[in-house]
Amino acid sequence: MDDTDPAGDGPLGAELEPAVRRVATGTDADTEGSPEERVPDIESLVGPQQTLEPGIQAVWILQGGISAAVLGVIAAVAFAFFSPGAPWLGGVVFTVVFLLAAALSVLRYRSWTYEVREDSLYLERGVVTRVKTVVPYVRIQHVDASRGPIERTFGLATTVVYTAGSRGADVSIPGLTPERADDLQNRLKQLAIAAEGEDAV
Amino acid sequence: MNLDPLSIPYRAGESVLRLAWVLIFLVFGNQTFGGFTGVGLVVVAWFLVTLAYQLVYYQRFEYELTDDTLDIASGVVSRRNREIPIRRVQNVDISRNVVHRLLGIAQIDLETAGGSSTEASLKYVSFEEAKRLQSEIGRLKRGDTSTDETTAEAPTERELFAITSKELALLGVIGIDLRLLSFVTVLLPVVAPSLTEQFGDPLVGLAVTAPLAAVAIVAVTAAISGALAVTNYYGFRLSRVSEELHYERGLLQRFSGTIPLEKVQTLSISENVIARRLGYASLAVETAGYSPNDAGSQSAVPLADRRRVFDLAQSVESFEDVAFERPPKRARQRYVVRYGIVAAVVVAAAFAVDRFTGFTFAWYATAVLVVAAPVAAHLKWRNLGYDLQSEYIVLREGFWTRTISVVPYYRVQTVVDSQTVFQRRRRLATLVVDTAGSSGLTSGATRALDIDEARASELREIVADRLQQELVERREQRRRERLDSIEAAA
Repeated sequence: MDDTDPAGDGPLGAELEPAVRRVATGTDADTEGSPEERVPDIESLVGPQQTLEPGIQAVWILQGGISAAVLGVIAAVAFAFFSPGAPWLGGVVFTVVFLLAAALSVLRYRSWTYEVREDSLYLERGVVTRVKTVVPYVRIQHVDASRGPIERTFGLATTVVYTAGSRGADVSIPGLTPERADDLQNRLKQLAIAAEGEDAV
Repeated sequence: MNLDPLSIPYRAGESVLRLAWVLIFLVFGNQTFGGFTGVGLVVVAWFLVTLAYQLVYYQRFEYELTDDTLDIASGVVSRRNREIPIRRVQNVDISRNVVHRLLGIAQIDLETAGGSSTEASLKYVSFEEAKRLQSEIGRLKRGDTSTDETTAEAPTERELFAITSKELALLGVIGIDLRLLSFVTVLLPVVAPSLTEQFGDPLVGLAVTAPLAAVAIVAVTAAISGALAVTNYYGFRLSRVSEELHYERGLLQRFSGTIPLEKVQTLSISENVIARRLGYASLAVETAGYSPNDAGSQSAVPLADRRRVFDLAQSVESFEDVAFERPPKRARQRYVVRYGIVAAVVVAAAFAVDRFTGFTFAWYATAVLVVAAPVAAHLKWRNLGYDLQSEYIVLREGFWTRTISVVPYYRVQTVVDSQTVFQRRRRLATLVVDTAGSSGLTSGATRALDIDEARASELREIVADRLQQELVERREQRRRERLDSIEAAA
């Protein structure tokens, strides 16, 4: 692909080189093979298929626990109201929902992979519905990092990628350490610049 | 530049009308208020107040069209200065209702890709000024910045399509919203019981009232949709000026707008059941500008001969003649099962109602649905398809309204393939080819439903790769053009 040879792109080569070099020097740890210090290129930014941090399972299980607790309380109140003497059923509801959510969280973690490819970001995820998404770097509008309260307590972060598409316009990759999230955000930014995002729409 | 002075009284009048329902409430709800004279006084007072406000609004609203931006400074209390880059403008629309036409004013709307609503709206300028802005913006977008009007060669306008009265009449008939009909038929059993109580034998009652009600509802639907189609598309005309499509339409409210061809995201050709029988189709051009609920404005051809629609579509995007590949037969089995389950549930529900409530009727009549399920499944399957061409992927879906979407690889935003639990059992997958097109929410048809899972992942990669190829080609082309222009200048 032409993207591997950005210097050949006329006036664009000039602004491209320093941008890529800055990131490549900071992200040696995650790149495959030996990154050449002198001439960093797209290849030093791409990586193999990655999985999420295992800690995300705890986040999801906790989130599931919260929803289960809410449902459990609602069920308990409902049972107490309609058939007095059976509010313990709320506990049953809580347990069932919690176990389901926990199982789903583990399966969801196992199903999640992402890959920073040469010209696109590739994601695979989903338990009930398996979804595989290709996001070409040219189409990236901007990249965000977000950290919710539960994620913060577990030391995790989410990277969100926005495109101009009408459906599934934004893609988020949860369960990254803050360093990984920053690194991914930077890589995607550089790759989007390198892909010449002039035609985003 | 300022707005048209006539916009001052018009806007004041508008706000008085907005107040109208409150006034009606006051007149009829409160006798002590003073009756009509009191209300009259309120109206006059309110009109004067808003007139003063609109006068200030008029004085503080300024716009200017420069060589590469449209600058708008507006706001009475909080000021807002905007610069809209002409290059980013997607559509320029002019609309005029009856009153506007009497006063000779028009509303002009500019759409850009960003944001969910119209980017800028000038309410109101004179019709001539609106026309001037529309053509000037078109001219500036083409990169023709010479201000000397006489030397700038006038771009030739070529008429592509003008609706005939026969097509307009047909549009009224074909334009019946079939989704509304299906909704009505669902609603009927709910309405019917109250009617049937009038008859001695409920069965006779149902037999009499149900078809009557159905006919009445269909007639009303047809009348409304026919009238709407005629007033909306009266005098429809589509023409091409260099790289833009221009359209004009409307009987009472006139609309005219531009569709930039270089910003076209997808083309969709749709034909509903009746149109298909008669060999007619409609064409919609989607750009990234409009908000999803604006679907009407993008209709490039409301109704025309199918062959002609395809010719027009191919003149906009040069896709080849389509030869659809259908999903595997096991997809059809999936629909048989799905519709069969729905039919069984309906029959069971009808039986339960018949048996356990006082209301008895011929519940076994619903068994027809069980027979209809395989037919429906076959029809759904038959109308599915995709075609992979060198520059486009063409997708087809829908029985009641069949939509053929032509998506250039160059416009692809993301490619998604997904498999639900049920799809995985049959080794099927759905491929969604997403663009920045606007009616994504309404049509939802840029997908290949239930194709073979291996083929889906293959297609996913092919579409993504072809996007990259197109990008490289276009980059090459731009570079060549740049070099050529440098050489020409030297």
